[in-house]
Amino acid sequence: MNKQKTPAGNDPIIDVRRICKTYPGPVIALDDFSITVDRGEVLVVIGPSGSGKSTFLRCLNGLEEVDSGEIIIDGIPLDEDEKKRLQIRREVGMVFQSFNLFPHLTVRKNIDLAQRLVRKKSRIEALEFSLHLLDQVGLADMADRYPHQLSGGQQQRVAIARALAMMPAVMLFDEATSALDPEMIGEVLDVMRGLARRGMTMVVVTHEMGFAREVSDRIAFMEEGRLVEEGCGEVFFSHPERLRTKEFLRQIL
Amino acid sequence: MSTADRCAWRLEIGPALLVYMKKRRPGFARYVDVAKFILVLAACGYLIFRGSEQLGYNWHWQSIPGYLFTVHEGHLQIGPITAGLLITLEITFFSLLLSALVGFAVALLRLSGSFVGRLLAMIYLETIRNTPLLVQIFFLYFVMAPILDIGRFATAVLALSFFEGAYASEIIRSGIVAVPVGQWEASHALGLNRFDTYRAVIIPQAIRRILPPLTSQAVSLLKDSALVSTIAVYDLTMEGRTIIAETFLTFEVWFTVAAIYLVLALVMSFAADQAKSYFQTA
Repeated sequence: MNKQKTPAGNDPIIDVRRICKTYPGPVIALDDFSITVDRGEVLVVIGPSGSGKSTFLRCLNGLEEVDSGEIIIDGIPLDEDEKKRLQIRREVGMVFQSFNLFPHLTVRKNIDLAQRLVRKKSRIEALEFSLHLLDQVGLADMADRYPHQLSGGQQQRVAIARALAMMPAVMLFDEATSALDPEMIGEVLDVMRGLARRGMTMVVVTHEMGFAREVSDRIAFMEEGRLVEEGCGEVFFSHPERLRTKEFLRQIL
Repeated sequence: MSTADRCAWRLEIGPALLVYMKKRRPGFARYVDVAKFILVLAACGYLIFRGSEQLGYNWHWQSIPGYLFTVHEGHLQIGPITAGLLITLEITFFSLLLSALVGFAVALLRLSGSFVGRLLAMIYLETIRNTPLLVQIFFLYFVMAPILDIGRFATAVLALSFFEGAYASEIIRSGIVAVPVGQWEASHALGLNRFDTYRAVIIPQAIRRILPPLTSQAVSLLKDSALVSTIAVYDLTMEGRTIIAETFLTFEVWFTVAAIYLVLALVMSFAADQAKSYFQTA
């Protein structure tokens, strides 16, 4: 499958308008933050810790509520309405830093669960799709294991398969490789790379700059809850415009 | 034994053996421990025996089996103590089920987003935990039972369920709270609604933390059920009191009743321990 790309701004699947979020403290996590993501686009969000990257991601599927501003996913506004929220969560898959697999279920049942309960698929349908997804992430022979019997990299790949089982329009990755041993990062990035190649819309918060440069269509640099700079991969890394971006890139590269 | 041998024994081998027995073998210390315990127990038994003799108490252990079972025309018939035991078991069983239900409902209410719900749960918990069970039983029996038109047995079950339900709810709540927040987030992110999240993700994980302490709570329930004898429910304790009132077999009957409670509680505690190790390894 080829990427079906449209010029920026034409077909935004994620439309975030001037959102603010303050945690008790008060800590300002998001400060008048706006961004759009197009269908099929891979947006990588980078920035120092505490810059609001994860908060931004968690706002996109309503795990955190914004104080003000608007979030529209695939034409559906994310607001207090519980139905719309569930509808959006069905369209948005999320992968966590700490995997968050269900420890009491086998790998296959982890992936079956939402298909059965949310998509109301039959057992056979769910089973077939789960096995297909496991095959896709290279874990077809692990279907009947429990999460604690897998390595970190394998667990994270199961978590990706679990999110994909909902056939989401957008996938969010919240530092998906940060909790992994170095030798396991590659296998997870490979799966993510494959997804990007197949045209999945992705918003990725990561510290893997090599991956960001290679896979991203656009990179956003955040600091103190604000969007400092955004740009296309190569240009962004070689010729950042803002001084702050330059400093940050110099520190981490 | 020569003098040298004796000296060697006294100065070297003897102490060394003692040190060996004490330090290398914890089993030895245990034997001493048990021996001391048996000694104290024997002393107590002797004192009771002497005391009862001075009281002029006539022991009639031989009539006790008749209160447990009688054989009537070739058929085994249960005596009043056994009948009381069955009532106690029945009350405990129904109260256990109901208190688990109450506990679960109150735990969910306390964890709910509703302010009124949390307030109600708190009022219930504080009221139950800060008034004596006996007063609660009397309140239900003398105030609520006539209003609701319920019998003694139902009143007893209700009183015990509400009492133990308060403690059960704390156990259930802490079990639910102990499930990592990431499990909630993963469920939400997958689009599961609140009910499915509880049913398929949270409760199955909380249950292994909840069940062992809940089984221990069942032992308390069994023991507390003795209090329902005060509202003339013919449980094990009440049957004991009745027999004593008729026969003055005070010592024998209370020994028997206590022994029955002890055995029941020990069996349930054993089950609780088994549950604990099962859920810890599972």
